[in-house]
Amino acid sequence: MELLDRYLQAVKKHLPWQRQDDIIAELRANLEAQLEDKEAALGRPLTVGEAEDWLRQIGPPMRVAARYQPQKYLIGPAVFPTYLLVLRLACFWATIAYLIGSAAQIAAQTPSWAAVSEAVLRVPGVLMIAAAWVTLTFAAIEFTATHYPAKCPAFARVSADWTPGTLPPMETEAAGGKKPRSFAHAVAEVVFGSLFLGWWLLVPRHPYLLIGPGVLYWHSSPFQLAPVLILFYWWVVVVNVVQLVWRSTDLIRGSWPRPRTAQNMVISAIGLIPLAILLSVPNHAFVLLRNPGLDQARYGAALTSINLSIQWSAIVICAITILQLLFGSGRMILDSYRKRAAAMR
Amino acid sequence: MTLSENLFENLRLELRRGCLTLAALAQLRQEHYGYSLRKALAERGLEIDESTLYPLLRRLEAQGLLTSEWREEDKRNKRFYRLSSDGEQIFGQLLQEWRAINTSIDNIL
Repeated sequence: MELLDRYLQAVKKHLPWQRQDDIIAELRANLEAQLEDKEAALGRPLTVGEAEDWLRQIGPPMRVAARYQPQKYLIGPAVFPTYLLVLRLACFWATIAYLIGSAAQIAAQTPSWAAVSEAVLRVPGVLMIAAAWVTLTFAAIEFTATHYPAKCPAFARVSADWTPGTLPPMETEAAGGKKPRSFAHAVAEVVFGSLFLGWWLLVPRHPYLLIGPGVLYWHSSPFQLAPVLILFYWWVVVVNVVQLVWRSTDLIRGSWPRPRTAQNMVISAIGLIPLAILLSVPNHAFVLLRNPGLDQARYGAALTSINLSIQWSAIVICAITILQLLFGSGRMILDSYRKRAAAMR
Repeated sequence: MTLSENLFENLRLELRRGCLTLAALAQLRQEHYGYSLRKALAERGLEIDESTLYPLLRRLEAQGLLTSEWREEDKRNKRFYRLSSDGEQIFGQLLQEWRAINTSIDNIL
């Protein structure tokens, strides 16, 4: 039967060459015996339509051939969880490294929106390259582990050496019944923290990033910033670096879902330092006149108003931070009391 | 196929997978070639697709549970399978397991 020959030829093309003749010979014998039975039952040969229906019911040649092969994985189930973790971390850190490198490069050259948008548009490419390298590496590990298990016992040993004692501590629910922070949330915090820090570091060199077109007015205005604001600026950098390093460490260690009450309190406490520097400035002189002798009479009132605004802003932010610290302390004390009470039960 | 039908089909295939191996091993206490085995199982109420049964025989042979030989029958060369001595031992253990599961399920139901 020509149709059966064509079918078997198509199956053969998808079989491993070492075994294809043997498998096809056996499959032919089985299918021909089945065909004989069918024709004997009908008392006539199958029509083309009936033969097509029969072969369709057996299945497409590629699928039939695939059943004769062992299941193959590019990255198998034993390696996959580690692959996923490494893939996420590699994509994340590749993006951070790329953004920092691009920001530095843009800052070193004449910054332009075209350069910024070009850098942003390259991010998917960076992600794909990072993902491709990680995937290739893990495919190689999978291949070695499958074909040369003696040379790659690491994954088998991880499972064999596992003990319940190595399990991380319970992830307690955040106060107020909130869910633990998700991975996406933790990544977003680090990404936006990095972007903010990059932006903040570019501000002294490119003040238009902070005040936009107002920079033209500022350069021609009679005002200048007091030197204490430089100290304030660097303390803001310190606070953000500490926060970013802490959150990145949480991400690397996998501890991002844990509550961060103590961490937030430490960062808030450090955040009080630049505010204290501002509030301790004598006469609240944050902004000065470039030529006090000439401009005092004309711009003195405006200067006082600007400095008062900055002072009150600092006072309000300081008050909010202190309230946050008090609230955090209260929550920690309450949590500690609850734990002790639960332990006594 | 709806979602629930698809889910049922997946679960049904999962449930059948182990049973088919046991049924094939049981039937191969007598010698059979692929198609005659398929017919014998169908006569006892267990229909198995060609594309499932024939590769299964190859796998069981590669695992040492079956032996096979090519022989001519009705003017056609056919590959005949039979349970190997290892296969008989494993089949006995699987049968015990099957009966224990059956009893447990009956008790649960």
